[in-house]
Amino acid sequence: MEFREDLSDKIRTCYLIYMKNLLLLTLLLLNAITTNAQDNFQLARPLLKYTSAFFTKEAKVEMFFAEPNTQIYYTLDGQKPTENDQLYTQPVRITKSFTTVKARVFSKIYSPSDVVEATFIKDGLPIKSIENTTPNQKYKGSGAITLIDNKGGTTNISSNTWLGFQTDTVEVVLNLNKKEKVKKVLINLLRDYGSWIFLPEKVEIYAFNNKKNAFYIIDDKVFTQDKNIDGAVCVPSIFELKNGIKTDKFKIQLHLVKQIPDWHGGKGNKSWIFIDEVKAYN
Amino acid sequence: MKRNAFIKTTSFGLLSAMLPIRDLGKNEVILGHNNKRYKINTRWSQADVARYPVNNCHEMVQDKTGRILLLTDETRNNVLIYNKNGKILDSWGTAYPGAHGLTLFNENGEDVLFICDNNRHQVIKTTIDGRVLMTLDYPKDAGVYTKAEEYVPTETAIAPNGDIYVADGYGKDYIIQYNYKGEYIRHFGGKGDASAHLSNAHGICVDMRDKANPYLMVTSRVQNAFKRYDMAGKYLETIDLKGAWVCRPVIKGEYLYAAVLQSNNNTGGQSGFVTILDKNNKVVSNLAGSTPQYQGNQIEEMYQTVKAFQYPHDVLIDDEECMYVAQWNSGKTYPIKLEPVI
Repeated sequence: MEFREDLSDKIRTCYLIYMKNLLLLTLLLLNAITTNAQDNFQLARPLLKYTSAFFTKEAKVEMFFAEPNTQIYYTLDGQKPTENDQLYTQPVRITKSFTTVKARVFSKIYSPSDVVEATFIKDGLPIKSIENTTPNQKYKGSGAITLIDNKGGTTNISSNTWLGFQTDTVEVVLNLNKKEKVKKVLINLLRDYGSWIFLPEKVEIYAFNNKKNAFYIIDDKVFTQDKNIDGAVCVPSIFELKNGIKTDKFKIQLHLVKQIPDWHGGKGNKSWIFIDEVKAYN
Repeated sequence: MKRNAFIKTTSFGLLSAMLPIRDLGKNEVILGHNNKRYKINTRWSQADVARYPVNNCHEMVQDKTGRILLLTDETRNNVLIYNKNGKILDSWGTAYPGAHGLTLFNENGEDVLFICDNNRHQVIKTTIDGRVLMTLDYPKDAGVYTKAEEYVPTETAIAPNGDIYVADGYGKDYIIQYNYKGEYIRHFGGKGDASAHLSNAHGICVDMRDKANPYLMVTSRVQNAFKRYDMAGKYLETIDLKGAWVCRPVIKGEYLYAAVLQSNNNTGGQSGFVTILDKNNKVVSNLAGSTPQYQGNQIEEMYQTVKAFQYPHDVLIDDEECMYVAQWNSGKTYPIKLEPVI
């Protein structure tokens, strides 16, 4: 290599240009390789299977994902699963009410999936009867008991566990067996933008006052529609009643999103409200 | 001397930087199962977006000279013509705002095209370069339509004798059969609860895999199934494809290929994939979808596993067994090419 010391400046420059081009070529090659590697696809969410998210003693949830060399990890504490959490190997038994199962799938080739989740809910106070606004003919569930039959909590809208409404206001009246001090009311809703099912704009809870022979409002909740969420998910909406309310009759009023927002394919049209279960707890 | 030292160090640095990247090769993305596995190339199209825009990319065919034709509902260029390397060769068409179905038929040695237009409620037969040869309006003679708007044709299939079968996939789900002159022969299918009925009859093809016994393969997309009929419209069989919103069936060799618009477990969630059936109409491979599994003759629910596609709407298999996937509602993206892995 010593001979290079004797090269004229001209030759030296040529050599440098050659080396520079070689460098550039290498960089280009490197870029091509990394560009190909940019097809870094994400895994789709794993599947949760269970007969119902509502249970009296226990629920059992199975997880599926038929893609080789992938692993499902899950949590029961509401945290987003990582590879340090529980690896799914067998069906998970759930006994504690309001347990949210969150699962994600991981692999070495693809980036981890988004979270799939389901909340499992134990039975509440005995309900004597229920009345509700007449649902749409296409989604009338299994009749009057649909909302109190402990069935549902899956995102399949063609199963007969869901009541679907397209009326501006939906009313549900719950009659308890007897007067109770109620601390919590639950209504299980569905959000499935692909099927034009939105959360209600607003939900109001009323209790019945026997002396005045009238309902009075005890709580309400306003929902915002997050456009960045895709896929169908059950949204158990819980109303905590401060100190409890003593009554044997409730009314839940849900207000429909009358105009689907601009970011959605169905903009300007009426949305749907889907409900599959209503419960009260002391 | 100092410069030389710098170059040496840099080259060495680059070399070592390349090593981990080479390791990535081990984890290369291969989609599909069994003997139908593919490498994906999302950057196949070299089209200049400003010059050759697309909206929904609905369907693709290959002509006898090997060119790839893409049908889009972008009326600046309804038909884009590519070579197999993704270079644009030509384009035509501004009159098809609802361009949806594209079928190629070799008519006495000449390639002709059949375009289904959702918005025009018509089927248009053209030459390969876009000259209109015949226009089929809504089939009054069938006696089941009162106005054009009730008829929204999505696909055609042409029998060897020239008979034209039109699938009214976004209308009343009838299959309407005409002779080569466009004269009404009969209609069948339609909405209903019986096996012979269809729900979203989005695609149709003439299945010639058994040459002695050609039959019609028809999509019933909302039912996640294909349905077989004989050439006179008699219902034969349902091929259940649980979970898969299949688009049109595409036959190449012994196999049937179909774009799956989305998975039933995640509708509206860009959950599409591609499915491949063997000559016995059993699923052998899902590209970006779940491993096909049967319980007896019953397929287990299929679903997207890898988000490689958004809403695949059609597949084309070219003369070199490469696959092209055209997508609906997928950010105005161009088709994706996939090469078989041997």
